[in-house]
Amino acid sequence: MQAVFIGFTSITWQMLIMYLVGIALIWLAISKEYEPMLLLPIGFGAILVNMPLSIAGIPTVPGYETGFLSILYTMGIKTELFPLLIFVAVGAMIDFGPLFKNPLMIFYGAAAQFGIFATMVVATLLGFSLKEAASIGIIGAADGPTSIFVANIFAPHYLAAISVAAYSYMSMVPMIQPPVIKLLTTRKERMIHVTYHESNVPRWLKVAFPIIVTMVSGFVAPISVPLIGSLMFGNLIRESGVLERLSQAAQNELANLVTLLLGLTIGSSMVATNFLDWKTLMILGMGLVAFVFDTAGGVLFAKLVNLFLPKSKRINPMIGACGISAFPMSARVIQKLANEEERGNIILMHAIGSNVSGQLGSIVAGGMVLALVPLFVL
Amino acid sequence: MDALIVSLQNSSTTVQALAVTAGGLIGVFATLFMFWFLIFLSERFGKKG
Repeated sequence: MQAVFIGFTSITWQMLIMYLVGIALIWLAISKEYEPMLLLPIGFGAILVNMPLSIAGIPTVPGYETGFLSILYTMGIKTELFPLLIFVAVGAMIDFGPLFKNPLMIFYGAAAQFGIFATMVVATLLGFSLKEAASIGIIGAADGPTSIFVANIFAPHYLAAISVAAYSYMSMVPMIQPPVIKLLTTRKERMIHVTYHESNVPRWLKVAFPIIVTMVSGFVAPISVPLIGSLMFGNLIRESGVLERLSQAAQNELANLVTLLLGLTIGSSMVATNFLDWKTLMILGMGLVAFVFDTAGGVLFAKLVNLFLPKSKRINPMIGACGISAFPMSARVIQKLANEEERGNIILMHAIGSNVSGQLGSIVAGGMVLALVPLFVL
Repeated sequence: MDALIVSLQNSSTTVQALAVTAGGLIGVFATLFMFWFLIFLSERFGKKG
């Protein structure tokens, strides 16, 4: 008789908590629309994998050797296939035009990666190993696939917490960035106007850019080639002008299908026994720290650059905060802030240039972390 | 360079993290500088063309 009720008798309090976590993520996705495409599948995956004797995850029932979530995890995350396919899709969506028109914005995309490294240092002070700290710091890339890619290599046991933190904070950029920006800038600085010069970008540059970026990144940090190569392949499809159907397929069908599977698979890594740990809370906390440091790094760098520019050419320092990879949300947030300070102050194109640079910067930073950390770990 | 790496391998985790920070930030800026240079050159060529 006990076998009939084995589903009920196998429930543990940890499983119950994970159901609440899963429901909370689904609620955030539906009610608050926080990254719904990812948080909803992640939340449901978390419930699925924590069902008693889960046949979906790693089954403990005789006759079921591998659950479908385990198969997805092995094929899509362990091999790093899903994040790389997402990058192909993202690459097909990116228009580097605003960056080509304001090339100096590229350095803001570098400065805003400060959060990755600062958080890594903080994580080591809290007792994490260098590889774990690097994986936690990479939440500051504000780039889900990069976070998954690095965490899978350096700290797969924290993959679930890192992924959830990365996607949650990306969706909370409108809440995280404004207070940090206001703390570090004066109203006068936030009212600085920037002039946008419309210019034609030669087509050959748009086509050559993804190829050259891949080659340069590959020479500087060979380990970053899968990351940057996938992104740039997607971008080349877009800019080639002769693969419109493939470009559309990458932007829509590929992006949707892989996002769905990626979310569900990440959720399936949230097994109660691994996830319910005080270190998970620390990782979630440090994810927030990473986003704050990113924003501060970008703003302070912009202020530093302004010290060397003539008054008429100064850049609104809020644009520095857009150097994170959360595209186009960060640029929109900064434009909204500029408009609040002074109605009609348009800084959107510069902000988008900085934001696009952040996408490049975050992947390069991920490559740097992947290249440098193994040098120091015996 | 090798001596520096060996020395860092024997340092505390935080010192190693600081080294990754220095190397990483320099690497990011240097790589993105190369991308900027590419765009800069294209503008120059474009204007001459």
